[in-house]
Amino acid sequence: MMNTLQNLWQRVNLFENASADDARRGRLLNTMLAGMLVLGFLALIFTITILSINASWDKPGNSLILLTLVVLISASLGLFFVNQRSVNFASFLFLLVLTLVLGFSDSPSEVANGRSSFVFFIPIAISSLLLSPVSSFFFAFGTSSIVILLSYVADVSVNVPIIGGLFFLALISWLSSRSLEQALRDLRVINTNLDNLVTQRTQALSDALSRERIESGRNQAILNSIADGVIVFDSDNHSILANPALSRLTSTSLENLIGIDANQFINSGQISEANREMLVEFIKHPEKNTSALRVDWGKNTFSTSIAPVQTSDHENIGTVTVFRDITQEAQLERMKDNFVAIISHELRTPLNAIMGHAEIMKEAVYGPLNEKQLSITQRIMVNVTRLLSMVGDLLDEAQIRAGKLSIAPQEFRVSSLLENLHNSMDKTVTDKGLSLVSKLGDGIPAQLVGDPQRIQQILFNLVGNAIKFTERGAIEVNIDRVDADNWKLEVTDHGIGIPENELPFIFDTFRQASHEVSTRQHGGFGLGLSIVKQLVELMGGHVYVKSESGKGSTFTVSLPLKTSLL
Amino acid sequence: MLKNYALVIEDDEDLSSIFTKALQTSGFEVEAILDGQAAEQRLKEIVPSVIVLDMHLPHVGGATLLKQIHSNEAFKKTRTIITTADNVQAEIYRDMATIVLIKPILFSQLRDLSARLITV
Repeated sequence: MMNTLQNLWQRVNLFENASADDARRGRLLNTMLAGMLVLGFLALIFTITILSINASWDKPGNSLILLTLVVLISASLGLFFVNQRSVNFASFLFLLVLTLVLGFSDSPSEVANGRSSFVFFIPIAISSLLLSPVSSFFFAFGTSSIVILLSYVADVSVNVPIIGGLFFLALISWLSSRSLEQALRDLRVINTNLDNLVTQRTQALSDALSRERIESGRNQAILNSIADGVIVFDSDNHSILANPALSRLTSTSLENLIGIDANQFINSGQISEANREMLVEFIKHPEKNTSALRVDWGKNTFSTSIAPVQTSDHENIGTVTVFRDITQEAQLERMKDNFVAIISHELRTPLNAIMGHAEIMKEAVYGPLNEKQLSITQRIMVNVTRLLSMVGDLLDEAQIRAGKLSIAPQEFRVSSLLENLHNSMDKTVTDKGLSLVSKLGDGIPAQLVGDPQRIQQILFNLVGNAIKFTERGAIEVNIDRVDADNWKLEVTDHGIGIPENELPFIFDTFRQASHEVSTRQHGGFGLGLSIVKQLVELMGGHVYVKSESGKGSTFTVSLPLKTSLL
Repeated sequence: MLKNYALVIEDDEDLSSIFTKALQTSGFEVEAILDGQAAEQRLKEIVPSVIVLDMHLPHVGGATLLKQIHSNEAFKKTRTIITTADNVQAEIYRDMATIVLIKPILFSQLRDLSARLITV
């Protein structure tokens, strides 16, 4: 019952085709009519009850009361229907009826000039709300006419202050209703704008969401098609992202790669203990690792690089690690190293034989040689020496790269380094018109602990390099102490020097500073300095060079060496 | 022990002849053997004062021969000079030999070195 009433009430209050103002007025009229209906019914029940108790049905005034109430209820119901068709007409009708009813609510003299004359305030005030603000003046005029008419009927003087009051009320009603309507209109505009804004924002949000979906789909597609294995660890070292390439390279299912702990991930692979430790360190400290790490993972070789993942405000939220499969390249490299090692070993034996035979001739073992023969024999020896040193360099390089070259520390006489240097190099130096000056710093102990052969080789290579690139002056070799545990070998020449742009590459394999003079002119593979660097680093030291083009170079090797084996 | 008698065990004929010549120049009587097995046999018969031993030999390796020489009391006074191109191998057998020479080995180097081993 309540629901039916509620539905009915909602339906009559819809006013679908009416303007916003008309709908508001229609609803206001509905409310008033409903109030009147309720009041009418209550009055009808009350009147019937009183009349039944007093049994006074036959009094002529009573039936009039009943009739009035029935008319009121019927008129209210009728107006509900009219209201559905035309709000304005229904409102006008309602106000007209109300005015007329009020006009007859008391004796004509009282209405015209007495206590009841103020009842006309009601239609005036209501009309400004129900019809339009300005209609209050129309009803002020109408009710004033009724008051004047009734004054003539009742033969009383026209009450001018009351008529003035009616028009004053009309003015106030007009002003207030107008402000109210203006405020409502403003509110409606605001509401409309707000609605538009909400619609726009909703659309924008939905666009952004679909863009995001497309974007993330695209990123996933890119990640999936990368040939390199990619895994992202969060700051707790749990993986949050991995791609199919990594799954393929590590033979682990993609599901198992997500959420996996960094240690777990590394332990899942067939990696040597040393590689494992390096990789753990690598992933945990991405900021320290700028160059790629080579890792043997099962049958594969990966070049691994890592970078911290940073938000726009530089907060580290994890790491991204990329595994590039370089198995083939690594195999080729190993083959090349083996090839170089075998070739240089096989080359050495015949070279050694040529050298030996030439020496036997030179040393006059089979009788003295004439000047021409001696000279040619010496040329053979010089060239074989060059070949031997090149082959030696290749072999050393190959051994270092294959990790086969080890450092064997033992006690050695420091001065023997310089003695051997002079024994081997003095002749070459003087032949070229240069001089070799060596100096042992003050307070250098007689003995140090290190690999004398390798340190000697470093000195040979550096001095050999200096001779190669110097045309005049002295080549200086100094051995000095840096601090308690570090020692310095310094080789200075006054040769062609190294141009500044070549300095960073001077220790690279197969490299020679290429300006003015070519490799061809100076001979060698350009391996000497590369071997020096690798040997020095194997011993835990550093090598650096200072050079000025045209003025010469100074190579400084610093080595950590103990003074005794204990 | 044969006085100033050297045994050169080297499979490369050229090097063998150069080593032989170097030792002869120093005053040694030299016998050259090109094969590990033959050398092993010969060492059962004679005790030279100097042995020049290549580590890379056919049939019986230089390392095997070196161990035999090192563990045999008869060779206590024999000077052993091992020749090898391999640095790592040189380090391993350094303690068992009197002198380790890394190839390439110069004629003059071996001649001057062996000259110091001549007993008058």
